[in-house]
Amino acid sequence: MSGELADRVREALRVVIDPELGENIVDLGFIYGIAVAEGVVRITMTATTPGCPATGFLKEGVQAAASGVPGVVSAVVTMTFEPAWDPSRIAPAVRASLGFAAVN
Amino acid sequence: MTYFAMALAWLFVALALMIAGVGYPASDIVSPDTLILVHAVSIGWLSLAMCGALFQFVPVLVAKPLFSEKCALPALALLSAGLLVLLAGFLSLGGHLPPALWLLPAGAVLLVAGFGLVVVDLGLTAWLRPTGPARFVLVGLASLCATIAFGAIFAFGLAGWAGSLGDVLMTTGVPLHAIAGLGGWLTLTAMGVSYRLLAMFMLSPDVDDRQSRLTLAAGALAVAVTVAGGGLAIGLNSGLKIVLSMAAILGLASAALYGRDIAFIFRNRKRRQLELNMRMATLSFVSLAGTAVVGVALAMSDTFAAHLGAFAFLAVFGWLSGLVLAKLYKIVAFLTWLETYGPVMGRAPTPRVQDLVAEGRATKWFIVYYAAVGAGTLTLLAGAPEIFRLTIAAMTLGVVGIVREVIRIRRLAYVADPLRLPGGAVAPHLLFARN
Repeated sequence: MSGELADRVREALRVVIDPELGENIVDLGFIYGIAVAEGVVRITMTATTPGCPATGFLKEGVQAAASGVPGVVSAVVTMTFEPAWDPSRIAPAVRASLGFAAVN
Repeated sequence: MTYFAMALAWLFVALALMIAGVGYPASDIVSPDTLILVHAVSIGWLSLAMCGALFQFVPVLVAKPLFSEKCALPALALLSAGLLVLLAGFLSLGGHLPPALWLLPAGAVLLVAGFGLVVVDLGLTAWLRPTGPARFVLVGLASLCATIAFGAIFAFGLAGWAGSLGDVLMTTGVPLHAIAGLGGWLTLTAMGVSYRLLAMFMLSPDVDDRQSRLTLAAGALAVAVTVAGGGLAIGLNSGLKIVLSMAAILGLASAALYGRDIAFIFRNRKRRQLELNMRMATLSFVSLAGTAVVGVALAMSDTFAAHLGAFAFLAVFGWLSGLVLAKLYKIVAFLTWLETYGPVMGRAPTPRVQDLVAEGRATKWFIVYYAAVGAGTLTLLAGAPEIFRLTIAAMTLGVVGIVREVIRIRRLAYVADPLRLPGGAVAPHLLFARN
């Protein structure tokens, strides 16, 4: 049940995009983890760079998108930069469409 | 946003002055008319645009909020009032207004107060994490202090209030004021911000700290030699030739090392496709290299003093203004996105930043601008002031086109209807941002 709710939350997060890369944060690999316990969703996420001015909006966007999923009692979002995000986390199909260089 | 709007207004004032034939090359390079033009460009256009960019990006460089959000607006008011009063003082000095030379020190006091607020606010913010690009900003701010100190002494000296020291400095110290301003304040700061912006938008690894430190050290030494060595040379009445030669060599070394660092960022970028702002920024880097080449060629042919105007024109409009215009195009789109779509993220689908711009339309205006800058430099070198004014008219056309595109970005003109204003989003105001 909690696994199914986590999947629905992950799907809902696709409405949140990185404004620069223009792709949703799930495919970009910004979501490090989604844990569900008794309707409380704990999401660990990152952004491309710690100083990015969009970081606060990304976090609030994830909070709003997760909270809107039926069955979610509350959503707690934690932003982390450990480990730092890098383009190898992007889904391969999206990486190709973004015209990225080969990622080691 | 208000800083950028004000800066662009001053750019148009400067372009109008050049088209009308006010200041160099129509007048002598140290005439009051030229002082009006030079300060409209260096304070009104470049410094205000740089301050606006730094209030946005110093927090990004150090990943901490600004020391104080409340300083930006009073600083802008003081800087704008100070510049107007200073220019009125120059008009009085040139006989265009009744004698009122007290306007010059009054303008200087207002400018010192305005820049003082900027230096304290940005300096204390950058000091929180003085690594990498933030170090460039700190050295740039120190150079700004030296620039305004010289400028204030000159302003008091022109009013006859600075005693014999002021008179001596005024006679020989103008190059120190100009180098500290253009080289230290504007160029080193632009370099620092560009390291972070280029790496961030192209997803490149940051330039190694030891590598960029060498670039900064050469630039900082050039400014230090100019200010301290120049001051000492003036005190000893020994001439500035040796000091300026040393500063030029160090400045060239810094520009060359910066070129190496920028090449590293471009080579190692993960995003292969370059956006318009990056492509146009490369033209400003080419202009910086061109400025260095022109400077060396003029120095070797012993004609630098005769063609100082052409050298400064390429540095100011090719390198600094070109970079500012290219980055402004991106910054306005990014800030407009944050302001309009940031608050509704997660609640509704939102466009990308790139959906706010039409790069094809903007490209031609940038090309017109850079072509006109190149032609303007050549006409100055050739000593053809009438054709120079034509090239400035072409430059103005380019800037009008770029500004029109920026206004269309602000008005969300290119965002397709279904995503333009999703539920809860509020259209941005043209001249000021809500956040």
